[in-house]
Amino acid sequence: MKIEVQEKDEKIIRLIVKDVDVSLMNSLRRIIVSEVPSMSIDEVVVIENSSILQDEIISHRLGLIPLTTDLEGYNLPENCSCASEFGCNLCRVTLTMNSEARDQTQTVYSGELVSENPAVIPVSDKIPIVKLSKGQKLKFEAYARLGKGKKHAKWQPVSMCTYKYYPKIEVPSKECKDCSKCVDICPKRVLGMKGKRVEIKNLLACNLCMDCVDECPKNVPPIKITWEKNAYILSIESTGVLPPEKIIQQTTKILEEQLTELKREIEAIKK
Amino acid sequence: MKINILSKSKNQIKIELEGAGHTLCNLLQKKLLENKNVDFAGYDVPHPLVTKAIFYVRMNGASKPEVALIKAVNEALKLNNEFKNKLDKALEK
Ligand SMILES: [Zn+2]
Repeated sequence: MKIEVQEKDEKIIRLIVKDVDVSLMNSLRRIIVSEVPSMSIDEVVVIENSSILQDEIISHRLGLIPLTTDLEGYNLPENCSCASEFGCNLCRVTLTMNSEARDQTQTVYSGELVSENPAVIPVSDKIPIVKLSKGQKLKFEAYARLGKGKKHAKWQPVSMCTYKYYPKIEVPSKECKDCSKCVDICPKRVLGMKGKRVEIKNLLACNLCMDCVDECPKNVPPIKITWEKNAYILSIESTGVLPPEKIIQQTTKILEEQLTELKREIEAIKK
Repeated sequence: MKINILSKSKNQIKIELEGAGHTLCNLLQKKLLENKNVDFAGYDVPHPLVTKAIFYVRMNGASKPEVALIKAVNEALKLNNEFKNKLDKALEK
């Protein structure tokens, strides 16, 4: 197995993984989307809401605000030692809001949420929650908890997580001359012209759509699009709740836990 | 996770995995099929919203399918561990 980091910043990571079968990649992808926990507002106690939106709509909007997550500091409510439906300070973070439009119409943004823990705050300060007209008030207490994407999409740590086959393109320069049809049709600008020849400019952008093969005027298109066996490009785009490398590291941990549990269960039925 | 045995004979087993879906079953099936003593391995998730899977394993000859299952889980663990180590190394760079 070979792993190479192709691209990485605070939101995105792109890995090239070679010599591994697709079932592992799919397991990892499924765990990232539905099993890696993140923090999200789960319960709201509205003290005053004279805005035009109902309490339920505001609560729903609050749930969808991504919050920076501290996985080590908090427990999943179902695993917490408090075993209380209200939660304790190991499984719950309180965020409060007290906003009023005094002089004119104003928008309440996520930045106005006050968190009891400075490590759990909205990823962006500029997410609009509701618009208040003059004299309207919004006051509530919200409880954020860890949760998993399989229960509600608001707990997904990623906005995008996909893998694709590593593309392989062959353009025989002998047969491809004076025609740039495949270059022009490519939506990802994978190909380019070098003089009168077709060259590959950005191989990894290819999504195997085969438009270039369909567009070729020749009966047997000389351009060949295939993919490498057992090689994948895994792309993860975090919503900002966790760094992307942390998400994938957490994923391997979760898969290990689940496999260990499965092994224990199989050993129990073996007797 | 909980396993219920649906049917069992000396070289085949049909089990119900409560709390498992495609995530584990697909990996497990792949690893089982790499074992040449396994004649057939397959699974079915009867309903997409219920996390329950039916897994079936049949062996060549008279070997025990539970042994093959444990071997497959171990292989998957090994693979995951390799991924983890290689990933950490790649991230360090
Ligand atoms: Zn607790």
